[in-house]
Amino acid sequence: MDQDLLSDTFVELADTMVADFDVIEFLHLLSDRAVRLLGASAAGVMLADPRGQLRLVAASSEAVRLLETVQLEGEEGPCLETVRTGQPITEPDLRHAQQRWPRFAPAALQAGFTSVHALPMRLREQVLGGLNLFHDQPGPFDPADVRIGQALADTATIGLLHERNLRRAEIVGEQLQAALNSRVVIEQAKGKLAERLGLDMDTAFATLRHYARDHNLRLSDLAQTFVDSDPADFPGLTPQARRRHSQ
Amino acid sequence: MPPRVKGEAAGDDASRVARVWELVSAQAVSRGRASVADVCAAAVISLDVSGAWVTAGDGMNPGQAMCATDVVGEGLAEVQITLGEGPCHDAAISGVPVMAANLADGDGYQWAVFAEAAARAGAAAVFAFPLRIGAIRVGVLAFYRDKEGPLDLLQFGSALILADFATMLLLDAEARQPDNPLSGAAPTSQSPDLAAHNAEIAQATGMLTEQLGVGITEAFARLRAYAYAQDRRLSDVAHDIVTRRLRLDPDPPG
Repeated sequence: MDQDLLSDTFVELADTMVADFDVIEFLHLLSDRAVRLLGASAAGVMLADPRGQLRLVAASSEAVRLLETVQLEGEEGPCLETVRTGQPITEPDLRHAQQRWPRFAPAALQAGFTSVHALPMRLREQVLGGLNLFHDQPGPFDPADVRIGQALADTATIGLLHERNLRRAEIVGEQLQAALNSRVVIEQAKGKLAERLGLDMDTAFATLRHYARDHNLRLSDLAQTFVDSDPADFPGLTPQARRRHSQ
Repeated sequence: MPPRVKGEAAGDDASRVARVWELVSAQAVSRGRASVADVCAAAVISLDVSGAWVTAGDGMNPGQAMCATDVVGEGLAEVQITLGEGPCHDAAISGVPVMAANLADGDGYQWAVFAEAAARAGAAAVFAFPLRIGAIRVGVLAFYRDKEGPLDLLQFGSALILADFATMLLLDAEARQPDNPLSGAAPTSQSPDLAAHNAEIAQATGMLTEQLGVGITEAFARLRAYAYAQDRRLSDVAHDIVTRRLRLDPDPPG
């Protein structure tokens, strides 16, 4: 465990909550740091949509997004179970999990993951979502890592609902809705940038995040403005700028 | 352990959406083609609200009342457009649901003039849901109650599904306008393919803004028209675009 990175991560998560809060950027920070701190190969964050389904809102890579789709379509998998039960769900060896998750286990193995750990994002009695950690090695998780992972998930839950008065269930729903809407705008912006610059989706997303950070913009605001914009409005996000950048 | 979110969390999304659509299309039986008015009627039946209405608009301009289930709803729609304040106005601009469960106390302070008008009309609570798919914004679906009190989480979820349908129906109605070059290829009566929750559909729509040199709303209309004309699922067409197996032609059909 990298102690400096651990303390930096909590400081950074807390900072994100205080300053110009962007929920999607925040959840991406969470999934990125979960990977680096807990030695996972990949991570994803799912939230419970008030419409009645889980939705993926952040992932450390596009591979995780595809895998989470398998969970949603197959209606099985660790994240669904952790949200259903409110308990952590672990599978140290997916090669022996064909019966437990006949669709999810083979898909995860094919993506190169051999063990998985899902941690609930809970607010008192309510389960808002889950943090999924994927590893490319079989074996049980270090209990210390699990505790850190749960602390990260709990911090994320508080961050997600921050500054909101939680007396009413519907306000949790509003907040989740804002996050889910931002996610869609960001996907639209990724598509636009990927097409303009000939990038894959992961690179398009990374480029948007860097641009937002460099220009001190909230990622969701940048995505919205970029989708609505003409090329001239974003001189940094044109093929010319990208060529200059890579030279 | 919890309650509603947990029990609803997985699996029954599709059937719940289907139930809501059944209710909407039942309202449309006499006319054959569902419209936002049927969404409003379905809301009054299923959400324990007194009335419902839809305002069309992109969030930038004042908007336009499309339909209402009663005169109170009609008045509440109009007064917000005239005043430029109120929960619908805020939902259109912010793009997130705005819940005013008790206009006489607390929730009404931020819209002093609107709250007074609502009280005179007999509305104690107003709930406004933006009609949007990411950056595509087409209006607001709103409800009022003659008694104060919040929507519970189940009602809130159903309202979101109704808002998804209203979004697609408004986009369909727009595509059917005679002056629209896509009108021949506009989807008609079946349950709309709810596109808000599929990342690849969003990515493909974004890609089409560049391929076709059009705005996001137009790009989405072109994506749907193509899927409809080819009789393919929207998600399958989107997948082909994202994986760059398919490009659409900048010249619109017809």
